[in-house]
Order: sequence, then C-alpha cells, then structure tokens
Amino acid sequence: MATEIQEGAKLEQLSHENPDEIEVAAGRDREQLEGWIPELASDADVREALEKAFDYRGDITVTRKDGTQVQGYLFDRQSSTTLTDSFIRIMPSNAPGTKINVGYADVAALAFTGRDTAAGKTFEAWVKKYWAKKAAGEQNIQIEPEKLD
Amino acid sequence: MAVPISQAWTVATYVLKQKFMGKKKYPLVLMLEPLFRCNLACAGCGKIQYPAHILKAELSPEECFKAVDECGTPMVAIPGGEPLLHPQMPEIVAGLVARKKYVYMCTNALLLKEKLHLFKPSKYLSFSVHVDGQREHHDFSVCREGGYDIAMEGVRVAVEAGFRVTTNTTLFDGADPNSVRAHFDELMVAGVESMMVSPGYTYDKAPDQKHFLGRARSKKMFRAILSNRKSSWRFNASPMFMEFLMGKKDLTCTPWGMPTFSIFGWQKPCYLLQDGYADSFKALMETVEWQNYGTESGNPRCANCMVHSGYEASGVNYTFGSIKGLLQTAKAIFFSKYEDHGAMKILNEWKPAHHTPLVQIAAKAESDPQSAHNAAELQEVSGD
Ligand code: SF4
Repeated sequence: MATEIQEGAKLEQLSHENPDEIEVAAGRDREQLEGWIPELASDADVREALEKAFDYRGDITVTRKDGTQVQGYLFDRQSSTTLTDSFIRIMPSNAPGTKINVGYADVAALAFTGRDTAAGKTFEAWVKKYWAKKAAGEQNIQIEPEKLD
Repeated sequence: MAVPISQAWTVATYVLKQKFMGKKKYPLVLMLEPLFRCNLACAGCGKIQYPAHILKAELSPEECFKAVDECGTPMVAIPGGEPLLHPQMPEIVAGLVARKKYVYMCTNALLLKEKLHLFKPSKYLSFSVHVDGQREHHDFSVCREGGYDIAMEGVRVAVEAGFRVTTNTTLFDGADPNSVRAHFDELMVAGVESMMVSPGYTYDKAPDQKHFLGRARSKKMFRAILSNRKSSWRFNASPMFMEFLMGKKDLTCTPWGMPTFSIFGWQKPCYLLQDGYADSFKALMETVEWQNYGTESGNPRCANCMVHSGYEASGVNYTFGSIKGLLQTAKAIFFSKYEDHGAMKILNEWKPAHHTPLVQIAAKAESDPQSAHNAAELQEVSGD
C-alpha cells in the first residue's frame, strides 16, 4: 500500500493515459518527513502515519503507551481491520539483526528522528555536482558511499 | 547457446516438473540479497538508501542456504548491495554450488579482480557484472569516473581465469540505443558469455523518481536496440521476454517468478515493490494478494513496469505453456536476427528525450559507417 499523496503523480498520469502509451512514467511524490512528529488523534491518523513511517528511509522512534521507546528502522507493517490486530515491525538501531513487533494500538507517539537517507540523491543533483567539479578541474569525480561508522 | 546446455536442461526439466505437478505459481530464480551496503553510491539507487545499522547487517551463510532450500529454484541470483563486500560470500557461493544451483552473482566488479582467487570456476557459477553502457554512460550511471574501466578489467580477469561471466545492463530514460548496440559489441569482444538487458526499475523508494521509462518508450527503444541483431550478440534472457521488450508480444507479470529474500525476510510481492515481508517462502506465497499486482491489475506502481524480474518468468512460462509457445521460442532462437527496417529508422533518427538528464551520451547511428564505432561523447545538452 502507499498513500494517495505518494502515488498522486502516477494516478494523475494514469487517469488520462494508457500504461502502454506512456513515454516517461511519472514517479512518486516525495514528502519531507525528516523531523516530523505526526498527531495521532484518530485511528486513521495512526494508520496514515505508520504507512508513511513504513515508506521512510530513515530511522523512526516509537513511544509505546507504557512509556517505553523503540528506535530503529520500520521495515514492515501488517495492517488489519482493527488497530489491535495490526502491528509494525522494527529493526532497532541498538540491537542489530533483531526484529521487534509493536501493535498499532500500543503506539502513543511517533517521530521521524533519523536522517532521510534518500533525500537529495537525485540524478539532477549528481549532474550538477559533476559539472561543478569538472569546471573546477577535478579528476576521477564520483559520489562516495557514506561512511558507516 | 547463451547458457550451457546443462543449465538450459535443468531449467526446462524444473519448469516441466512444476507444470506436471499442476503448480500454477512457482518461482524460477531466487533473488538472494545478503546485504544492502555497496561500494558505489549511484544517484537514484533504491536499494542502498538505509540507515547505517541496516547497511551493516548481512545474512549468514546458514540463512542464505535455508532460503534457497525453502524456495527450491534451480537458479539463484545474488544482487544487493554489492555481494563482494560480504565477508562470507565465498562460503555462500560454495554452498550454493554444492547444492547444484546455478548462481548469478551480480557485481559492480570493483572488487572482482582482488577477490577472484576466493572463488572456483564452475559451470554453476557466473559473475553477472553490472555494466550500464559504454564508458561515459556507465560512469555517469554509477556516478563514478573510471567505474567502467574497473568493471571491464574485472570482466577480462574473470574471463581469463575461466569463470563464466555475463553482464547486466539497465536502461533508464536518456539511454541511447546506438550507444547500447556499440556497448554490446564491446562486451562480446571482452569475451562475456551472454548479456542481460532490462528497462530501469521503478523502485518506489528510489530517491530519483524522474528517469523511469514508460512502456511506450521502452518498447520503442528495445525495438531499436534488439532488432537487426548482430550474429555475434548472445543474450541471457528468454526469447519471449525479449520479444515482449520489443513490443512484439504481450505478457502479464509473474510477480512470484523471482522472489526476493533479504535481512528483512521474503519481500512482498516482488523484487521491485516493498509491500512488507513474510517470514517464510510458504507464507509469502499464501499471504500476498497476487491479483493486485502486474500492469493489468491497475496498480499504479506496476503501470510502467516491464522488468526482467516480473516478466522473464512469464516468457519462460509462455514457452513451456503450449506447443505454440515452444514453436515460437524455437523460431526466435533459430531466426533471431529480427530484421526490421522500421527499427533501423528509429535507430538512425533517435533523439534524446525531452525529459533526459542534463547530460546525454551521444553515439552516431550505425548507418553512418564513418562514425559507427566512434567513442561515445559526453556533451552538455540543455535541460527542461
Ligand atoms: S508489474 Fe510485476 S514485477 Fe513489476 S512492479 Fe508490479 S508486481 Fe513487481
């Protein structure tokens, strides 16, 4: 699943073009979610926010109703008809390789605390940087993978 | 033959066995992703954008073997991330070869020369080197000047050491079919066994959402590239899938055809989309609502998809689904030139797309003999 906002550009394109006639396919609209703390006033708010958290390429922090917190990467969500039957799955940043389940109904607060690792990494951004470096006479221009430590 | 006869035979008997057993949904290739970290940082890659603790995580050899045994496919592709960064990759590959699985290790080859001695040549092992086009195009695509030369050096060293080496070329909006054809020539000269080519992946989570080929443009481009084929070219793909890319055949997606297993589990539903994870292959097959996927489903995320991971298995299924499929495949194998004057015209008149990135790799069309083998030239063109 994805939210309609995320799929907006594709839905708009498909509303007036047949997939087989599309020359350049619309992508997905990116939202700036880093630092966001959604309001979780209703069940619908909880579902929408967790769907966005599932889509997010950085760590999030979930505060449970008992006050405990889990910080990590939300890699899965299993959404059912009621919040009590639905849960998210997180790989905590401080316990590599483990997977923790948190019920939707147990979520008191959610924060997009980690850096959005996909932000700004477009082809255009690379091309701009490339030409700037080229103009400065640099050789062996490249994007280095980020350091992991 | 683009693949050894023993491999073609293994795959054919596997598919026929599934059909005789009355299985409607069966996988063909397991996409095993033992890690997500990479030594390249291609702009727009949807696979490597994760927090550091996820990029540091990796599957153990035992987890890999369990997944392979659960899934049961005769072929295992190991994409990633960059598999050669996994410290136990030689052990993983050796374990898969011992299971008589045909392994395609997808690598950018930056470390291939250095790590080659850790592997043994085998009919079961092929290095599938990612090369996205001629020098300038590849370098731009992987955001690293000199990347092409290192990758091709890896290819040459592996070929010389007696390994099976194939290549994998992914084309995004802005690709130039003339340059791609020249690229095929270069790969064949380098001694690769066969080549795979596919339109760019529609990763939902890719940071760059602007360079996905639509189906109409994909078909036009692949018709230009794959028609009027040179007899020297060998492809590692089902002939029916290639006809699908060229717009000569309609296929519907087989999302379960190439299931993906990673540190998160079994990815729902396919290699490209991430709609969550199942903890077992059985659970994956039973819990995904498969009718919601594929272009014909109306799912906007599948709308422009023509990729190998969704449609290669469809091509194989088509071949083995009827006598007609077998005959058409035989015809495609034995009369594989695909002469097409219209395609040559497209090739000669191909202009960079309006939506292309700010740079374009230019290669002259093949009808111009003087420039047929000109090196591609990096030139600035005006943006949108
Ligand atoms: S069409 Fe098939 S392979 Fe492509 S994204 Fe959809 S389910 Fe995945």
